[in-house]
Amino acid sequence: EKLKKSFPWFGMDIGGTLVKLVYFEPKDITAEEEQEEVENLRSIRHYLTSNTAYGTTGIRDVHLEMKDLTLCGRTGNLHFIRFPTHDLPVFMQMGRNKHFSSLHTTLCATGGGAYKFESDFRTMADLELHKLDELDCLVRGVLYIDSVLTSGPSECYYFENPSDLDHCAQKPYTLENHYPLLLVNIGSGVSILAVYSENNYKRVTGTSLGGGTFLGLCCLLTGCSTFEEALEMASQGESTHVDKLVRDIYGGDYERFGLPGWTVASSLFCDGFHMMFKEKRESVSKEDLARATLVTITNNIGSITRMCALNENIERVVFVGNFLRVNILSMKLLAYAMDYWSKGQLKALFLRHEGYFGAVGALLGLLHPS
Amino acid sequence: MDKAKSLVDKKGASGPFHVNNVQSPRGLNGLVVVAANGSCSTSNALGLSTGPGSSSSSSSSSTFEMHHLHRGEEKDCNGSPAKRSRLRRRTESVKRNRPPFPWFGMDIGGTLVKLVYFEPVDITAEEEQEEVENLKSIRRYLTSNVAYGKTGVRDVHLELRNLTMCGRTGNLHFIRFPTQAMPRFIQMGRDKNFSSLHTTLCATGGGAYKFENDFRTMADLELLKLDELDCLIRGLLFIDRVGFNGHPECYYFQNPSDPQSCVKKPCNLDNHFPMLLVNIGSGVSILAVYSENNYKRVTGTSLGGGTFLGLCCLLTGCETFEEALEMASKGDSTNVDKLVKDIYGGDYERFGLQGSAVASSFGHMMCKEKRDSIRKEDLARATLITITNNIGSIARMCAVNEKIERVVFVGNFLRINTVSTKLLAYAMDFWSKGQLRALFLEHEGYFGAVGALTELLKTSEDL
Repeated sequence: EKLKKSFPWFGMDIGGTLVKLVYFEPKDITAEEEQEEVENLRSIRHYLTSNTAYGTTGIRDVHLEMKDLTLCGRTGNLHFIRFPTHDLPVFMQMGRNKHFSSLHTTLCATGGGAYKFESDFRTMADLELHKLDELDCLVRGVLYIDSVLTSGPSECYYFENPSDLDHCAQKPYTLENHYPLLLVNIGSGVSILAVYSENNYKRVTGTSLGGGTFLGLCCLLTGCSTFEEALEMASQGESTHVDKLVRDIYGGDYERFGLPGWTVASSLFCDGFHMMFKEKRESVSKEDLARATLVTITNNIGSITRMCALNENIERVVFVGNFLRVNILSMKLLAYAMDYWSKGQLKALFLRHEGYFGAVGALLGLLHPS
Repeated sequence: MDKAKSLVDKKGASGPFHVNNVQSPRGLNGLVVVAANGSCSTSNALGLSTGPGSSSSSSSSSTFEMHHLHRGEEKDCNGSPAKRSRLRRRTESVKRNRPPFPWFGMDIGGTLVKLVYFEPVDITAEEEQEEVENLKSIRRYLTSNVAYGKTGVRDVHLELRNLTMCGRTGNLHFIRFPTQAMPRFIQMGRDKNFSSLHTTLCATGGGAYKFENDFRTMADLELLKLDELDCLIRGLLFIDRVGFNGHPECYYFQNPSDPQSCVKKPCNLDNHFPMLLVNIGSGVSILAVYSENNYKRVTGTSLGGGTFLGLCCLLTGCETFEEALEMASKGDSTNVDKLVKDIYGGDYERFGLQGSAVASSFGHMMCKEKRDSIRKEDLARATLITITNNIGSIARMCAVNEKIERVVFVGNFLRINTVSTKLLAYAMDFWSKGQLRALFLEHEGYFGAVGALTELLKTSEDL
């Protein structure tokens, strides 16, 4: 299938919760080109680049914009836009209204939604999606973004002194000799990949306890309705009010197996003193519950990741995905867990463009089909 | 510690104590300290580790505890004929290395206390005559009731009948009560003057450490603390060896992937080792067991039975494990969880993920319309499924990495919980394409307590 590479250049990742869209805005348009540019293309470019919010839920992450990028011989800015998958019909309607289909460009899409909404795109907006595998795109996107030399901040970073949650510092990291690395993608659910080279990776495992679980549980337990609200509450809560620590069970450390007293023995724990009894239940705040949920989900991911790293014999773990967006608490917890439980052997790495790599990979799928 | 010293200083058999150097059946050298009241115990004062996993650092059993001696009291050797025959009996008992009754093993977990009690049925007329009142009262109380107070339960269906332990024949009883009721239990021990019985109280689980002081101050009882994982393995192997009243202790599910033909089948843990032992209590421990004395804790997870119950209570307002399971049995978790097909519109074939697999647990709950349309039962079900599948997933990873094909699931999370049991059986089978087999044991959460009991009796040749 021949891909049509005329503008506009998009890469789309339709996930379980969010749609991630990357848009390449050409800055090297010649006068001639501008003159010939069709109206709706100009309108699309104008709409996307002169707004930072779209409708009620679309957002352009301006701080992630990559300026003066060269792609496929053109120079321009790469924009990063997201909106809830729930609002995809609105997006499709917009595509129809702007006669996107008349632009004769291929729309490369990845993520489950590329499959699920394929026929909707066709019927509602007369658009044919070129479907790409989400993990292929993820790996491709990560390797590409990391390789781009920018004057901006380093894409990759880690936390120094992760054991000190309050004072650990963010430090840049060069992911030079990439391989092998363990790539943990925390979206609605989690996929864990072992990446050996650009074209050689495998999906090691996954877990269904991901970002969607955190948000879903938080909404149920606290009445919040957005990710940002949930995180806000969590930042103010105290999870030890809710979790049963080893200390609570042992009255101290479980030394024999190296489990310090503060280790969570049973998350969201209930025993006679806790959740089973109404009085205790009522004395725990929403913030505590949000916190405990965050800590539980994060630590579970950390634990599973560590097992994988151990078994695959990989020391570098890269965490991506929108669960970590504006979620420094989880990042620090993951950094801490990797460091502590592996006695310093494993290093947790993070990437600034978090959840956008699938979309970037989809864009590359359009421009440099392999 | 002063007591230990004074013991060793005593010479010969003329004093109330004497010290033997014995070779126990297990080939362990140690000091056997015999007190005139007939109780005896093995000293690991020489620092020898006796339990499994002995290659690791400090073992709790290497601490010698003069648990059976009352502070400063010494038994009088002289006295009434009744007293003398009591002494004689105890001495005979000592010759057979038997501790005095009552025989208990206790496992104080994060949520439940598990108690095993050996009820002797071969008591002679003479023995009965000499039996002290509180011992008789304890025996009667435990064996003539199946419920104790508001929350204590004796699992009669698990009773092991006519068991021979340490040369005595009797029934082994299995009792549980919430850890929250521990103060009441200790109080009862005080009321029944338990400490005067000079028997060792072997206890394991975190609570053995946490409540140690309370036992001492409230009931003048000294616990012999044992490691919970040592006891778990010892207890498991013991029960498997003696069997369940002639029936196998162990079972599995045939055709776990087919709800129509999925059937429970007995099995033997014959060639036990190696096995992956997954203990699902409040939290979860996963052990790779290579032999009776060689095991390692592979990992654990904090998302265990306590999480299930806690979350359920929060989400549905239920108050007990039984209520939570009841609700879960009637719910539909697919209204709560986001499945692969909800994201892909079908299977995610490339990586073998069926449409019916859960992609994001509770993933639908971020959406208000969905929240408003689900029932409590659906939430309970989703909680059960989520916790169970997470454990299954982690267990499977461990089994693959440790290259072990047999995964044994124990712990009270599985008590009356066929949903989880079958789900674990299915998960092991399905995700491993039939390579792994999930095994279960009838006495579920009691192995730690049984192991504690066997530790009490360990100097006996009958074991």
